[in-house]
Formats: sequence, C-alpha cells, structure tokens
Amino acid sequence: MRRRASLVLLAVAVFLAALAPLLRWYAYPRLARVPAGTYQTAVLEAKDATLVDYARMEPRTVPKVTLVQTLKGNVEEARKVRRATGRDVVVWDTLTHMTGPDGAMISKIPERYVFDAHGQQPVHAGGEHVDGTPVRRDGIEYKWPFLVEKRDYRYFDMQTRTSAPIHYRGTRSFRGLDVYYFEQTVPWTRVPFPKTLPLGVTPEALRQLGLERWYTTRRMFWVDPVTGAPVNGEEIHREELRWTDRPEKQPVTAFAGHVKMRADYVDSTVALVTSQRRLVLLLTSWLPWGSAGLGAALAALALYLEARARPRRAFTGQKAHDGGKTERQAPGKRAARSRGGSP
Amino acid sequence: MRALVAAAAGLAAALALVLTVTAIGPPEGETSPKPLLTSAPAHP
Repeated sequence: MRRRASLVLLAVAVFLAALAPLLRWYAYPRLARVPAGTYQTAVLEAKDATLVDYARMEPRTVPKVTLVQTLKGNVEEARKVRRATGRDVVVWDTLTHMTGPDGAMISKIPERYVFDAHGQQPVHAGGEHVDGTPVRRDGIEYKWPFLVEKRDYRYFDMQTRTSAPIHYRGTRSFRGLDVYYFEQTVPWTRVPFPKTLPLGVTPEALRQLGLERWYTTRRMFWVDPVTGAPVNGEEIHREELRWTDRPEKQPVTAFAGHVKMRADYVDSTVALVTSQRRLVLLLTSWLPWGSAGLGAALAALALYLEARARPRRAFTGQKAHDGGKTERQAPGKRAARSRGGSP
Repeated sequence: MRALVAAAAGLAAALALVLTVTAIGPPEGETSPKPLLTSAPAHP
C-alpha cells in the first residue's frame, strides 16, 4: 500500500516539477498576449491652457482643453494580417480627439497601429497610418511589452511620425503599485497640420497664409512593469504656428498646456492593470514556483515512504522488489540453534 | 521499473496539459461595437 502511494506521489511530483518550466518558458510566451478585441478610452485634460483662436489668429487662455483617446481593436483586420504574415497581431484603430472648453472640436487625428500581440513589436503589413498618411513605425506606442525591462525603449511619436528613445528614469510608487517611470522629450520639430481643424480651416489654407506647424513635448509615463500598461501619463505640450516667409512676425501659440489623465481614468486604469498583472504573475511566477516547490515536497515525501517501506519488507522476508536480498533468520531460531551446542 | 513508469506518466501528463492549453489559447474576442469617442464621458 505504501509502495503504491509512493509511486503515485512520484508521478504527481514529476508532473508538477515538469509543469514549472513548461509554464514559464513554453506556455507564458504563447498565452500572454494583448487581446485583439480591446476597447479602451482615456480622457486627458490640460487646465488653464493656451489655444489659438483661428478666427483672429491669436492665442487665448482657456480654462480647459480635453483630449479623448480611444483604442479599438479591429479583430477582422488582425485575422487578415495574421493570415498574410503568419504572426499573431493586434490592430488598433485609434482616435485622438481634442476639444476646447465649450466642447467644440479643435483637432482629431486617427491612427492605425499594427503590432505583435506578444512582444509589442510593430508589424508592417500595410494599413499603418497617422491621420491618413502611411507610416512605418519603429518602436512601441501606447503600451510597453509584458515584463518591462529597466532600459530605454524606442517610442513612436504620432505628431513627428518618427521614433526616438524614451528613457527609463527609475522605479516609483504610484497608487500602491511599483511602476517604472519613463520620459521622452521631443525637441521643436516641424510637423504636419492635422487634416481636420475647427471652423472649416484647412491645412492648405494655413499653408497659403504662410504658416507651418511646430511642436515640442515632454512626455511622461508611469508603466506597470508586469503588464507593460501605463497607469498614468502626462505631457507638457507646446505647438506653434510659425510664419515661413516673415521671420520678423512672432509665432502664434496654437496650443500650450500640461496634459494630465483625468482622475477617474487613472483609477479605472489602475484597477484594470491590477487585475491583469495577477494573470501575468500567475504564469510567470506564482504557478511555476508553486508547482516546483510542491513537486519537490511530494518527491521528498515519495522517497521517505519508499525508504520506510524497504526495511520492513526486508525484515518480514518479502523478496519482491527488494533487489534479491538474502533472507535474515529470526533471532529466536539462531538462539535455539546455539543452545543445541556446536562442535 | 515502476518508478520510471510513474515518472514518465507524470511528465507526459504535464506535457499534454501545457500543449493542450497553449493550443486552445486565449479567446480572440470580437471588435467592439462601441464608437471612437468624440466627446469626453461625464466625470462619475
């Protein structure tokens, strides 16, 4: 009975010991992925911001500018790209919609971002764009890969449509989570006008006026290192309309403000990330370490039961599975023989 | 010999479980019918 128990324990111990590395290095890279059908929104606000009045071509201070950012996973497009490339991808159609204090649209910039569902690398399968202009991304955008490293990453900037390093600046505590803080500064760069502007203003009309758009930003992200999801984001953003042929004329500030995530969106993002990081930790840490530990304990128990079973069998004279040991005589018999005398 | 068979059974079960789970994979989901927002939802 003890022998059977030790064999069952041994089988379970091997099962658990084998499960640990399989989960960490085989299952995790295949199972941890950004869901193709993600739908997420974020509202960011800039209080006491400066905004251009296109009717007068003058900057004015407004109490609040709001940016609404929507990420929508396009599952049908992801399937098409997967069929074409053989890679597990996510296609995000996004919209960054900016409104003034009265809720009127200031600009709207749509994007399509195609990336590897597991590693976050951009996938160039056609269809990638920013505001309708094809782009070829290099680096990440919106989200970091799972299990973020303490290093710089390349981050795609939708305004300049280029990628540049975003620097790791240390570990911070944010709403009870240990997060990695990243920062990127985009120097003054000439950028295209958004295709959709307020009051029927067109990019072509602004160009004919002799204006071009320049932009600089300091971008900050607090990123959960397990899921790679930012739990907070801020930008100190400045845009100017500069006169191309009249250097004596002062540039017009098109937008200047410190953009921060609205408090309720920070709360919901932290709650979402906290639940998702448990799933990633389950595959990368809790289950592998738990099964390895339990496997080792059960293997030790199996050995102990086996060791206890062996001498008992030998003593009682069982020959089966004992390696063919010679039968020991009972002490009584030996004593009786010795009493009988010897030559 | 029996110990080897038990160990092999444990290993095979672990492989079968992990291969099955990864082959099934997480559900893909569907494209959300919700629109790309053009106004900020009200603060709760």
